[in-house]
Amino acid sequence: MTTDPDPAARRPGPDEEQLPCGRLLSQAWDADPGDDHPAHCPSCADARRRLAGLRQAVLHLRDASGPALPDAGDVLRRVMDVVRLELRPGAPLPLGTPDEDMWIMESAAARVLRSAAENVPGVLAGSCRLVPGDRRPDATADITVTISIHAPATAHLPSVADDVRRAVATAATDRLGLGPTRVDVHVTDLTEEDR
Amino acid sequence: MIQPAADAVGSGHDDVLLTARAAEGDQDAFAVLVTRHAPRLVRLAVRLLGDKAEAEDAVQESFINAWRRLPDFRGHSAFGTWMYRVVTNRCLNALRARRPTTPLHEVLDVAAADHSSSPSRMAESRAIAADLRTALAGLSAEQAVCWVLRELDGRSYEFIADAVGITENAARARVFRARRGLTHALGDWR
Repeated sequence: MTTDPDPAARRPGPDEEQLPCGRLLSQAWDADPGDDHPAHCPSCADARRRLAGLRQAVLHLRDASGPALPDAGDVLRRVMDVVRLELRPGAPLPLGTPDEDMWIMESAAARVLRSAAENVPGVLAGSCRLVPGDRRPDATADITVTISIHAPATAHLPSVADDVRRAVATAATDRLGLGPTRVDVHVTDLTEEDR
Repeated sequence: MIQPAADAVGSGHDDVLLTARAAEGDQDAFAVLVTRHAPRLVRLAVRLLGDKAEAEDAVQESFINAWRRLPDFRGHSAFGTWMYRVVTNRCLNALRARRPTTPLHEVLDVAAADHSSSPSRMAESRAIAADLRTALAGLSAEQAVCWVLRELDGRSYEFIADAVGITENAARARVFRARRGLTHALGDWR
């Protein structure tokens, strides 16, 4: 039945209609722009004529639902209303000595430390985890901070990592009042431009 | 209590950074993700469900679930792809719950009568879109979803297969059957 074997022809699925030229009806619809077979093939042309009504309707429906993106301000507002009621503050971290009984939640501390890291030019901060070490009765607990950053591709990475480490450690002790802080900096990506 | 620095999360942060921050409870980062992805997802849901209010509800619920599930999100796929899949499947379930509806040939007779005397081109164009929307409601939910992702959202079969969780050949077959059903419904088959 196929008189003109065509390397682009696919085997038909259970419901697919094969045209006299060997192509499938679906191939006549989804014509590859680089393929000149459909332009010269009478059976593909005939198939496209049959499908013309549907194609026109599809274009109308596509226009009716785009291309302008809808305003999603209501969705944002309603989502954030729920999110603000479902906090995920993380673990409490000790501030000061045990008898002072002061704590800060990990997510609040992480906000401050990310912001400190981003004071280093070109740095963008992602994950920031804080883990306290063992508490001694008369001293503030050690804290280990692990922060992931994107750094500028043009920067000298060891210097950037040092700057971030220093900025984060200073913010942890001076701004938050956490104990001696060890900072691990993970550079997870390089950005093309300095920001 | 310490006041955090002024909100510095913005357009410079890519989705990977924002997703990591949101997973750790950073609501501002999550708000940026919602702002960035919601318009496209609402458009997708409108195309799938044909109703703006229902579409917004589907997207809203998907984001709220995402917020709850983010701590377990390991970034096997990008946030945008993950959300596209979540919204698609939520809409698929909504369509399944809606069916079965009136058989295809009956709704089409009604649709044809509706616009037979439309005066302007604009009204005719709206009527054609409405006909197709009606015809779409006569397909199975699975066919309708694959067809919308392909023809209205312009997705590849590979992408559709991944979003719906079927093989690429199954996605092709569903789009094909949907197209045949719609062509038939619009009265141009043979």
